[in-house]
Amino acid sequence: MEAIEHPPIFRLPGIPDHVTYTWLVMIILAALAFVASRNVQLVPRGAQNILEVVLEQFIQLIDDVMGHEGRRYLPLIATLGLFILVGNLMSLVPGLSGPTTNLNTTAACALVTFFAYHYIGVRKQGAVSYLNHFTGPMPWSLGMIPIKLLMIPIEVISQLGRPLSLTLRLFGNMIGGHILLAVIFLLMGLDGLIGWALSGSVAGAVVGGIGGAITIVFTVGFLYPLKILVSFLQAFIFVMLTMLYISGAMEEAEHHAEHH
Amino acid sequence: MRRSLILGGLSVLGFPGMALAAEGAPAGGGWIGPFAVIAAGIGMAIAAGLCGLGQGRAVAAAVDAMARQPAAAERIQTAMIIGLALIESLAIYTLVIALILLFVKGIQFS
Repeated sequence: MEAIEHPPIFRLPGIPDHVTYTWLVMIILAALAFVASRNVQLVPRGAQNILEVVLEQFIQLIDDVMGHEGRRYLPLIATLGLFILVGNLMSLVPGLSGPTTNLNTTAACALVTFFAYHYIGVRKQGAVSYLNHFTGPMPWSLGMIPIKLLMIPIEVISQLGRPLSLTLRLFGNMIGGHILLAVIFLLMGLDGLIGWALSGSVAGAVVGGIGGAITIVFTVGFLYPLKILVSFLQAFIFVMLTMLYISGAMEEAEHHAEHH
Repeated sequence: MRRSLILGGLSVLGFPGMALAAEGAPAGGGWIGPFAVIAAGIGMAIAAGLCGLGQGRAVAAAVDAMARQPAAAERIQTAMIIGLALIESLAIYTLVIALILLFVKGIQFS
């Protein structure tokens, strides 16, 4: 990938790029939170206003999906969402590297979700009745025991598939768009069409100039808006699935309680 | 006709491997590399096409439902986006495998 993609401008020696830029995302979010909450007023202004709007969106989403119970998990959900969103958008800035274009970062986010919803499920309904749910929805009886034993590996595999799909969905979307942008920039840049247009030859000026103009319009008018949309969409989907998993782990408790 | 097509396809598929074998291919992945590139391209093409078919069906049904009942449009849209993400992740798996085939050292030379 080094062949088509210039490494990011700012690198710390001995530290991988995605870790450096994860720290950068952390610094940005922490600074924003500090500036917004330093001087909290009843009538919000500036950064406080922006963050209040963002967090109200999160609260509304949580109320829609999880009900009122879910507001306790606002810190977890909003942190994941904001981190992924800023990380996604950072990979669009030329010269920076997005942390979410690395498999390790997305796997870390997905593992946080995975352990969080299991912890919440065990906490809400106790270990025994939570584990009981892994044996399928059928009632316990003598004839059902083989089927229930058969359900256990299926359920375990489907649970393990959740963090895998969360990881790969975010990573694949981000790295796919990243490589697409890198290839377009390679075709467009000084080694490509624009370089040909500036080389002085007549054919280069005509073909390279027109082609370079077309690729610039294509990139600015189509690819960048698409990537921004995908960044928001992937952050939304990650947060949405996290909420669905958490509310799934919680709702089973209520469902289970009704039977007794 | 069909036999010649099959032979032609096989020879196209086999050519990079044979050309490389003739060169002797000292280090790296040997004959696997060129086939990995072909496999990545064909696999991604199949995955993208079938994923497009699946997503098209889902979006068609969702838009139909939204047109019939505009009051429920927001909830339908949320469900549609989640469903699209779940369908798309299957194509994303193939993309990741294609990227592994293209960029992992030991399969490719660089």
